[in-house]
Amino acid sequence: MAKLHTKKLFVRALTKKFGKDFDLSSQKTEYKRLGPEQSARKREFMEYAKKLEGKRGISFYNPYVHCGGIPLGQRQLVPYKLSGTEYIVEGDDLHFVNNPAMQQMWDDIRRTVIVGLDMAHEVLEKRLGKEVTPETINNYLEILNHAMPGAAVVQEHMVETHPGLVEDCNVRVFTGDDDLADEIDPQYLIDINKLFPTDQAEQLKAAIGKTTWQAIHIPTIVVRSCDGGTTSRWSAMQLSMTFIDAYNMCAGEAAVADLAYAAKHAAVLQMSDMLPARRARGPNNPGGLSFGFMADMVQTSRVKPWDPTAVSLNVVAAGTMLYDQIWLGSYMSGGVGFTQYATAAYTNDVLDDFSYYGVDYGIEKYGGFAKAPANLEVVKDLATEVTLYGIEQYESFPTLLEDHFGGSQRASVLAAASGITCAIMTGNSQAGLAGWYLSMLLHKEAWGRLGFFGYDLQDQCGPANVFSYQSDEGNPLELRGANYPNYAMNVGHQGEYAGISSAAHAGRGDAFACNPLVKVAFANPALVFDWTDIRLCFGKGGAREFRAAGERSLVMPAV
Amino acid sequence: MAYTPQYYPGNTSVGANRRKHMSGNLEKLRDIPEADVVAIMGHRAPGADYPSTHPPLKEMGEPDCPIRQLVEPTPGAAAGDRVRYSQFTDSMYFAPSIPYWRSYWAAINCRGADPGTLSGRQIIEARERDIEAYTKKLMDSEMTDVARCSMRGCTVHGHSLRLEENGMMFDMLARTELGADGNVYYVKNQVGIPLDKKINVGKPMSEEELKKRTTIFRYDNISYGGKVGARKFDEALEALHHMWELRTKWGFRPE
Repeated sequence: MAKLHTKKLFVRALTKKFGKDFDLSSQKTEYKRLGPEQSARKREFMEYAKKLEGKRGISFYNPYVHCGGIPLGQRQLVPYKLSGTEYIVEGDDLHFVNNPAMQQMWDDIRRTVIVGLDMAHEVLEKRLGKEVTPETINNYLEILNHAMPGAAVVQEHMVETHPGLVEDCNVRVFTGDDDLADEIDPQYLIDINKLFPTDQAEQLKAAIGKTTWQAIHIPTIVVRSCDGGTTSRWSAMQLSMTFIDAYNMCAGEAAVADLAYAAKHAAVLQMSDMLPARRARGPNNPGGLSFGFMADMVQTSRVKPWDPTAVSLNVVAAGTMLYDQIWLGSYMSGGVGFTQYATAAYTNDVLDDFSYYGVDYGIEKYGGFAKAPANLEVVKDLATEVTLYGIEQYESFPTLLEDHFGGSQRASVLAAASGITCAIMTGNSQAGLAGWYLSMLLHKEAWGRLGFFGYDLQDQCGPANVFSYQSDEGNPLELRGANYPNYAMNVGHQGEYAGISSAAHAGRGDAFACNPLVKVAFANPALVFDWTDIRLCFGKGGAREFRAAGERSLVMPAV
Repeated sequence: MAYTPQYYPGNTSVGANRRKHMSGNLEKLRDIPEADVVAIMGHRAPGADYPSTHPPLKEMGEPDCPIRQLVEPTPGAAAGDRVRYSQFTDSMYFAPSIPYWRSYWAAINCRGADPGTLSGRQIIEARERDIEAYTKKLMDSEMTDVARCSMRGCTVHGHSLRLEENGMMFDMLARTELGADGNVYYVKNQVGIPLDKKINVGKPMSEEELKKRTTIFRYDNISYGGKVGARKFDEALEALHHMWELRTKWGFRPE
């Protein structure tokens, strides 16, 4: 098996960040203390705030109000290179408020539900004696793609939504039954055979069998006005109305209740679970999203099946953005600090370098992906080597250490690279998790520092939660999530855990990590966010090249 | 047989220094006047009375309690002092101490202290006169180098940044400066409020001295695990492997 990378991937990014004139190995530098004016984005912020101040009638953004008039920018404010891409953006461009691609990634999740068609078809056929054929299904899907965005069927004199505001809404079906798939109008089909490599397609079709599912993506603007809990309700109402229309049913007959029940409960797969009352979120909100589902949403596995490291890195990017920046950083905490934790894992090719190093080392020693036995000796070997390698890089390149200026950033990256390596080489996510925890302990011991109070806590006790399947002490990593007891309020971990979940399966050549339905639903080419290359899409968002859905400008006066 | 704590494994200088920090058996390198320590901490003006949160314990008529009989209050607790803090940032470029070892030092050696550990700073909270005494011990001892460690209550950014050209750790708020006489001066207190007068805390250690006294493992000084292609594990690393394995097996519990 060929090696996949050349080492020190981060050097190019550091050179771009700090400039060619900097000696990347020097432990000393001149701090010019140029303030916020050294950053184009900060200058833009100050100019904009000045313009708006008169209009607002109240003071606004002014970086000179803190620290006794000493603004940020006493050190060099450096831009960020999106790992694996050519995009270089300002740090500010990676806060989700400033990045429409990040917003869309989350919107694409919360506006999605997967609803089975078989239960509804059984009601129609067995209870009502109606005939369901590929023709009736195609007719139903045409009506549904009219209704789902917010248009009326069956009813008179109803209000409807403007198509220009809801163009991102669509419903496609998928099935493991090739015969049925052949009969579906291609515009309504997520074609597993075309979208996935042959071996993955076979795995997915075998897992899905002869069942049929609808990937439903309601309008972005709806979930931005409401929340993820809305999605199954919005979709169930439009599904029920569409059945009435497509199968000439009575609007009030009892079978409609069965169809609605199937759409809302019995045959629906939410993208995330509801949270307990103390966290007070409905389904399809980030806190209930399992790491396995997150891994399956990301589609790098079908476009780069030969590179499980790239698969894992993209899942890490998606996961850190959602779990750290949006879930913990905003739903659970607030403020702006959490972006720094997340960006370390998907910028400047650092995690890439450490992970590819580990996989190279593992391939050389164990012979190939998923070839190493999943035992503690192997984990000890791989996680120790990767962690020590990473530590050595931070020590050899002071600008790298400066780039990841917080211990939590370094800890996440070192442990993620260790976990990804262990998971890919063993094909076992628990082995990956064990590597994560060993890395955390090694790091803390070497440098006498790790993250912060709460950050360190779970990693010190974490090894005891590995290889244990008792529900309150363990659980397969794929089924753990943001609300797993030991992870519930801990930044810099969850996205990486999702990456480790995906790494094990990508290493094995699996088509999916946890749920084949989620994997296929997010292969829908009509999704707004590009789920095949998370980091590229974030870069486009930061560079202001990404057009998100859910825009209201169509119905507002021009700025 | 009296128990002698071993504190930490390994025969390296880093292992030995870690043991010293934990044991509290520290070398005193300087004698910073108490009033200067108090001024840098910034909680009360030097010489001012200690603000209190309750009357002295002797005047409070405490209940009959076996724990109170066993545990003698610290001077600060006995006097009813408020709880205050000192927080230090240590550069990763060979500062003598590191956050977890500051915490271990405090937890083992300082009564009534509440240490907190982060990557870029380490805080100890205690009753005011107690924390003043603990802080003076820290600043006078080999746990402190005046250029690579500094007291920073907020805006602590700097532990992982490259050093200033003169060898000082970066500080956004520039609380300390290297004087023309080679001494380091605090010009602001730990939260960045300018001091009435500069406070001389003495000369920085040489690079050689720092590397001798440091508690951080680094590949370019005392290595924790050798280099790429030439791994050599310190005993501290092997002990850690053992601990990790036991923790993992405990969680597995195959029975």
